[in-house]
Amino acid sequence: MSKFQTSIHEYLETLPEHTFNRLYQKPATCLAIFRLLPPLGKQIIMSCLYVDRPIPVNEMKLWFKDGAGSIKQMEAMTRLKALHIFTDQHNNYRMNPTFLQEFRNALTGGGNSESFGLATSTPDKHHVDIAFLDDYATKQWEAILHFMVGTTEGKPPCKGVLNLLGRSGLMTGGSNAQAENMDAREFASQMARQDFGVPTITNKGFQFLLQDINTQVWAFLLQYLNMAESLNMDLVEVLTFFFQLGSLELGNDYSSEKLTPSQTHLLEDLKAYGIVYQRKRGSRRYYPTRLATTLTSGTPVMLGSHSHANKNNAAVAAAAARKSDEEEEDGHGFIVIETNYRVYAYTDSPLQIAVLNLFVHLRDRFPNMVTGVITRDSIRRALSNGITAEQIITYLSAHAHAQMRKHSPVLPLTVVDQIRLWEIEKNRLRAAPSWNYSQFNRQQDFESTLEYASELGVVQWSDSKRKMLCITNEGHQPVGAYVRKLIAKHKEQQAQQSQQQHQHQQQQHHHHTTSVHS
Amino acid sequence: MVKAVKGTIIECDTSVKQIIIGLNEKYQFIIEDLDDTHVYIDTTYVEQLRHDIDEILNENTYKVEEKDNK
Repeated sequence: MSKFQTSIHEYLETLPEHTFNRLYQKPATCLAIFRLLPPLGKQIIMSCLYVDRPIPVNEMKLWFKDGAGSIKQMEAMTRLKALHIFTDQHNNYRMNPTFLQEFRNALTGGGNSESFGLATSTPDKHHVDIAFLDDYATKQWEAILHFMVGTTEGKPPCKGVLNLLGRSGLMTGGSNAQAENMDAREFASQMARQDFGVPTITNKGFQFLLQDINTQVWAFLLQYLNMAESLNMDLVEVLTFFFQLGSLELGNDYSSEKLTPSQTHLLEDLKAYGIVYQRKRGSRRYYPTRLATTLTSGTPVMLGSHSHANKNNAAVAAAAARKSDEEEEDGHGFIVIETNYRVYAYTDSPLQIAVLNLFVHLRDRFPNMVTGVITRDSIRRALSNGITAEQIITYLSAHAHAQMRKHSPVLPLTVVDQIRLWEIEKNRLRAAPSWNYSQFNRQQDFESTLEYASELGVVQWSDSKRKMLCITNEGHQPVGAYVRKLIAKHKEQQAQQSQQQHQHQQQQHHHHTTSVHS
Repeated sequence: MVKAVKGTIIECDTSVKQIIIGLNEKYQFIIEDLDDTHVYIDTTYVEQLRHDIDEILNENTYKVEEKDNK
């Protein structure tokens, strides 16, 4: 399962029920959420869609085979319940009435179809074709990625994008690293004042670069959602618009007149990411680009699959691919790796080269390709930037050349293993802040302290012969208190003992004196 | 009397441990030598230690590039 699906789902599942009820008022949203569901979830909804009474739990069980089947059913139902599509009432499954009605509308075309985007009634004098839109989307999106990798290609992205990059923790200003603690306004004003220093890419940003484009777009949009809350934008309107975009048709123009104020504002921002195109600010029509129309579609053909890699490649490297038509025809990828760690990348996209440069030691550049070699140093550089070996390997296999795909496994094993080994090697030293307790007077004090600390789960290391133990910083407070209590108790006992002894001595002394006197 | 000392616990393999002991002769940062794979050190030296160990390990690594560049 691709990361994108889980993250949008995770996000949706955090929303309260009344938000869902408002979301489900739009047929487009119902359809979009339906498209995001796993096949079994879809199956269950389709089966229940035209049953006008609640379905007994026991009856639904009969639809599935015992064992593995019922486990899968449970998983699917948990998901559907989390999305508030189904509720569990008196051993009956009841479908959310709003969802039921609007989803029927979505399928049969009844009701108000405005939520699927209002097509403009008049033809556009400045009509643009799909190729133009692809080019536009590529240019805008690449400008953001270029800015992230720090190439000078293209103009720097606008303030809104910078703001989002900072907020999402993908980039951070050199001088001020506490971006996450700031609220959106504060951050925006800081960015605008330009006293933020030159933004630099963070570990998260490097990881972001290696994702496929759909994941990147969703990551951006999810971040936007988080920000929308702090900007007092209506979450439902924003989400509705995202899902609406996913149902639009590429190459058609849609009217922006019926949009709410916050959706108009949103349109402005999405323009900057290349998700929609508008000829000029305040224009009455807008075009969705490929980035928008693939948002909720084709979820089964995600990361790693051939057709997707193709689509991904086509979108990101449209400029590169168009020049070399052959590449685009069977362009599943562009990277060839040999067992001697040499890398040949058939690309002239500065962006792809910049991304490769993150972990490949590039040596020669030709008009249509670059060559390089994966070395210990180049991988270590990537690792110290926070990229993991797994991400490098995923990126390489997702973009492997058609020739490479004929082999199984796709990447040479030696190279994959070595990249992993280099990562392990980098972590030969594990350091953890700690408190070292030693010089326990009595073995039993040590044992009881160790037992107490183990119960808390804060022991890092211990040696009972040397009566020494190391505990975590968090454990210092309670364990320290425990030891002090032990010592106090011990002292008390000693004091009592000595007192008793003293009394005893006195008694003896008294006895002695009396005996003398007698 | 029980003594509590703040510091950093280092976990590593035995060969790195030996390098650490070697480095300690110069800087004296080890507070307590725990066992073959653990050592307790002064927190202020952690970064320095990482850097030094990286350098020493680097010297002992065979590099492909050098061969390539001839």
